[in-house]
Amino acid sequence: MQITLRTFANLKDIIGSRETTVTLTPGAELSDLFDFLDNTYGKRFDRQIRDQRTKEIVPFLILINNETFRSVADMNRPLKNGDVVTIMVPFDGG
Amino acid sequence: MSNISLKYKGYIGKILRVNLTDKTTRNFQITNELAEKYIGGAGMAARILYDELAPGIDPLSPENKAILLTGPVEGTMIPTASRVGLYAKSPLTNTFFHSSAGGHFGPEMKFAGYDGIILEGVSNKPVYLFVDDGRVEIRKADHLWGLDTTMVQEQLFEELGSEELQIAAIGPAGEKRVRFACVICGSRALGRGGLGAVLGSKKLKAIVVRGQGDIDVPDMRRMKYLLDDLFSRFNANPSTSEILPRYGTPVLVNANNTLGLFGFNNWQDEFYPEAEGLSGDTMRKELVRRDKSCYACPSRCGKFSIVEKGSNKGAKVEGPEYEDIFSLGSMCGHNNLDVVAAAERLCDDLGVDAIEAGVAIAFAMECYEKGILTDADTDGVNLSFGNDDIIMDMVTNIALRKNKLGDILAEGVKRAADKIGKGSHDFAMQNKGLTFPGHSARGMPGFALGYATGPRGASHHDGRPTGERTGFVKRNTIEGKGEYTAKINHLNILTDSMILCHLPEAVWGPLDITEIIVRCINTTTGMDLTLDETKKTAERIWNLIRAFSIREGYRREHDTLPKRFMEEPIKTGPSKGMVISQEMLDYMLDQYYDFRGWDRTTGIPSKEKLLELGLDDIAADMDKYR
Repeated sequence: MQITLRTFANLKDIIGSRETTVTLTPGAELSDLFDFLDNTYGKRFDRQIRDQRTKEIVPFLILINNETFRSVADMNRPLKNGDVVTIMVPFDGG
Repeated sequence: MSNISLKYKGYIGKILRVNLTDKTTRNFQITNELAEKYIGGAGMAARILYDELAPGIDPLSPENKAILLTGPVEGTMIPTASRVGLYAKSPLTNTFFHSSAGGHFGPEMKFAGYDGIILEGVSNKPVYLFVDDGRVEIRKADHLWGLDTTMVQEQLFEELGSEELQIAAIGPAGEKRVRFACVICGSRALGRGGLGAVLGSKKLKAIVVRGQGDIDVPDMRRMKYLLDDLFSRFNANPSTSEILPRYGTPVLVNANNTLGLFGFNNWQDEFYPEAEGLSGDTMRKELVRRDKSCYACPSRCGKFSIVEKGSNKGAKVEGPEYEDIFSLGSMCGHNNLDVVAAAERLCDDLGVDAIEAGVAIAFAMECYEKGILTDADTDGVNLSFGNDDIIMDMVTNIALRKNKLGDILAEGVKRAADKIGKGSHDFAMQNKGLTFPGHSARGMPGFALGYATGPRGASHHDGRPTGERTGFVKRNTIEGKGEYTAKINHLNILTDSMILCHLPEAVWGPLDITEIIVRCINTTTGMDLTLDETKKTAERIWNLIRAFSIREGYRREHDTLPKRFMEEPIKTGPSKGMVISQEMLDYMLDQYYDFRGWDRTTGIPSKEKLLELGLDDIAADMDKYR
């Protein structure tokens, strides 16, 4: 199945564009998308989403078709063909 | 002479007290009790001003006092220990107000021999203050009066024969008592609350500091291990090591807009389809020339930008920050980043808070859209949303009180709505006189509660948006948000008292005070605070500031939100339909007051709570208002 991945800022710099299409196995969950990105972009991607001391994913939000999910709680959320997934960069402050 | 009676390190131990009326100076010694109970910065200043200001004074009268103050960590190498705070009764809100800035002024003031400076009275003629390695002079400033903040700094560099100085200066807006005039330190702003007008009312144009002193800590080896730990945390966290250095705060344009939490057209909506033109990505590509750091900060979130095209070509600015982009851009309905950058620089030069100025323009635009203001009121200027041609002129008109509309808006949107009337209060986007910055209230209930209860009004540094915006906690619920907001209040007021920057809040908290902050205080000062004692200290300071507000007449009914946020759901985008009804706000307020031990009806802290916090004198004071 195919999903549309959208992002911006540092993650866009690494992926190369604001929007791209990702092919995943049917039945994939959000965590499978992140595994794909880890495998494809390696350390550069890892540094954007994980604390490098604890290696844990830090909190940030993910939109699936404009519905909000949390990196710290919703990684087993199933994806389906045609989903639009937007990954927010982990940013505190402002 | 150092303060030998103060047993704690980190501090210089003394605050310079300057009476501008009779031009005398003396020292205010920091006591052990003041350090232990209020730490420094906002906490210490709140205590001094509570004790020294009579309730009900006019903030622009000689009776008001302004305090520039650091905390114990400033001047050490603890990351972000760069800050200086400015404190006074605000002419915008009539509350105790604190505004802090990074850069280099704070550490330099300590190197010059003082933790801070209390400014009282009023000079009969313009003056500036020069603190040069312990030597203090009040100098004539007639030749500086009228200059913008960049020109003041350049002039002082020249006449003092050095650029190795740190200068805090007001612009023409402060002189003209614009109620949201700011103070510029280098290129950083003590931005909010109109404290520049307080300095202007005292005819104090600038404060110059220079020094070669140092900061004592109890145990350098222990400090080294703390710094190793802190820098490791900063380098490991994606926000402080990757996002802030690359994009700075403007990354929030896309973040907030993607979530549908980006104020647009005076908060008529929170999703702006054309926001990409204002984004951190666009800014990095088109404007940013280099990154800048504050003292002791590894995150270099400051961005030095140059406008390369259009009518503002050549404008240089440190920024624009996210808040400028929101207020001077999307709130006014346009996405011209060149205009935002130039207007932000103009705000800094003229010495006005860019948030307040932009929101005032947006307010006037909505008045114009609704026919409440007409061409007769605007001198024929088309104040339609999206007309970016008028932003620069509007900033000038406000900052210099140049025409009738500018003069009205220079009072802040609350007073402007009082004057304009015709229902304009419904969309005057302020609380307690302070306008809302660029973080949604409707889309983040806990943060809405922080805005409503904020002692400074609609500040984004009393509550914080981060917990709900990044998913530490669920944002689509009001349950538990009373305790959530109170704990974030405490984290903020403690870091504002140390003083540390809020941007690396993932390292400091971000939901509550953590052990790493306690280690920063103890390692710097030699105190032996536990985590619980530190939390109690923060709660004490918060209650003290609440008592200041109570004394000025603030009660539960003032802990509120604009009608728009409570009655108009977000119209479009991913947060469509979200709103904070009066019922929701009341529920959260009850939770919040209960957690705090404050009276549900009045919002006054209970006697028991104040006694528990060691605020016995304030408990007695509050009895007068129950």
